[in-house]
Amino acid sequence: MKFRGAEAIVETVEWNGQIVVSKVRNKRGYRHPSLEKRLVVERLRSESRIMERLLSRGISVPALYSVNISDNSLLMEFIDGSTLEKALREKDFRNHLVKTAELLTMIHSCNVVHGDPTTSNFLVTDKIYVIDFGLSSISEDDEDRASDLRVFLESLDSHHSEINGRDIFLSAYTKWAKSKPVLEALKVLELRGRYNLMRG
Amino acid sequence: MSTTILGIESTAHTAGVGIITSEGTILSNQRSVYIPEEGEGIHPREAANHHSEELPKLFKKALDEANLSSKDISLVSYARGPGLGPCLRTGATAARAFAYSNDIPLLGVNHCVAHLEIGLLEGAKDPVLLYLSGANTQVIAYAAGRYRVFGETIDIGIGNGLDKFAREAGMGFPGGPKLEKIAEGDELIDLPYSVKGMDLAFSGLMTAAKQKLESGYSLGQLAYSVQETAFAMSCEVSERALAHTGKTELVLGGGVACNSRLREMAMTMASERGVKCFVPEKALCVDNGVMVAWLGHQMMNADYQITEEDNVVNQRYRTDMVEVTWR
Ligand SMILES: Nc1ncnc2c1ncn2[C@@H]1O[C@H](COP(=O)(O)OP(=O)(O)O)[C@@H](O)[C@H]1O
Ligand SMILES: [Mg+2]
Repeated sequence: MKFRGAEAIVETVEWNGQIVVSKVRNKRGYRHPSLEKRLVVERLRSESRIMERLLSRGISVPALYSVNISDNSLLMEFIDGSTLEKALREKDFRNHLVKTAELLTMIHSCNVVHGDPTTSNFLVTDKIYVIDFGLSSISEDDEDRASDLRVFLESLDSHHSEINGRDIFLSAYTKWAKSKPVLEALKVLELRGRYNLMRG
Repeated sequence: MSTTILGIESTAHTAGVGIITSEGTILSNQRSVYIPEEGEGIHPREAANHHSEELPKLFKKALDEANLSSKDISLVSYARGPGLGPCLRTGATAARAFAYSNDIPLLGVNHCVAHLEIGLLEGAKDPVLLYLSGANTQVIAYAAGRYRVFGETIDIGIGNGLDKFAREAGMGFPGGPKLEKIAEGDELIDLPYSVKGMDLAFSGLMTAAKQKLESGYSLGQLAYSVQETAFAMSCEVSERALAHTGKTELVLGGGVACNSRLREMAMTMASERGVKCFVPEKALCVDNGVMVAWLGHQMMNADYQITEEDNVVNQRYRTDMVEVTWR
């Protein structure tokens, strides 16, 4: 597997006799070198810190094997599955959506916000894994959590407009005891964003 | 048969009248920009007054330059939103008056979609549009019958942010180009970089820049750093949209897309990703009547049926409200 994602090259490599995934943030020539450095280090640190936090709470995240700041690389467990984006095109999509919502509530209850929970950042095997914590942060702010919901719903809406996943997803998320203020914050966000294009 | 289409733009600062042929030859692109009083933001009513004074002159100039009479126009297209209410109504009134008195069909279209469609005239087929203007900052692409907003600002538009910082630094409107001119050096001052998924935010960045200015940093270096940071954010979200949609073309649009540094960064990003970058000439990036005319033509060419609703202005006419029937 070799995958050129939004900001990294992700590929399978051999490491200590097993197949693992390496994720390397390659340089962006358009970015000022010092901004580049700042972002890459920030994201690598935060990505590994957050993966470790989630792993320690038993959340399904690929196991983290090594972090190397000098070449901006991470080595992690290879999850042999398909992205949620693909899986949602199958007939089992309801179940996937419910499980993804549950996973997100678990992440949020660890006080982590993912930052980029699009359908390409979940991998489906017999369970669902969450990946790509480059934009994640530690936060228990309801607005940050709502922003995660919005990113997910937007990616559903733009990629899977043929299924009406919104309600399935949100009703599963609502099962979480602390979901109420998040859903309220989501309402505010949605009104302020997409629906309000012209502001002075 | 070749036809000629007239387009009217009046959603914000710019009053514009453009004429284009059905083959895509631009016959005229007349614009007049409302400049608010020194040190102030836009006053919608004053802008509307400006437009209602300017539009008749622009009609005449455009027809003269195209060497046409009003009888030669086969469609009048105008931007019915999104935008500032008074400005939109002024444009709609002018469009109606011109169309009805000359017995020409009238069609109101979406301003943001027009920015995208004019990029297609450059040769793009199925691009991601990075649309950076005063009030709008969006990453848009076609999916399942609509142009969808994949990412956008969650607070202020990038152009308004740049203008605001420039105003606070004592520069007049429009601030963006002035900042571009005074940006200097190659040393970056650290400023908040705010990207959330495919969305971005500029208000923290502009506030921090203002604070740094007050604490004695040089304006030139700050202008440079604001540009580097804000444009890198914009390129990053476009890159995310490209990766997410798998599309292989990028189009720039909106007034801020006239900035040379932004253009350079977007082209670097595109070439590093192996994506084609289309940069319309500046007069087509800024708000203009030509793009409005071209979108109207695309729609009618695909046998679009005009309804009454098409001729009602809509301040909050979202990009994804438009059903794309012409492609
Ligand atoms: N641990 C993993 N196991 C299997 N596939 C993975 C793994 N991590 C990433 N991938 C694949 O690579 C793609 C890009 O990885 P990601 O971490 O999301 O990078 P980016 O930040 O570039 O989006 C994912 O969408 C997924 O298909
Ligand atoms: Mg990813």
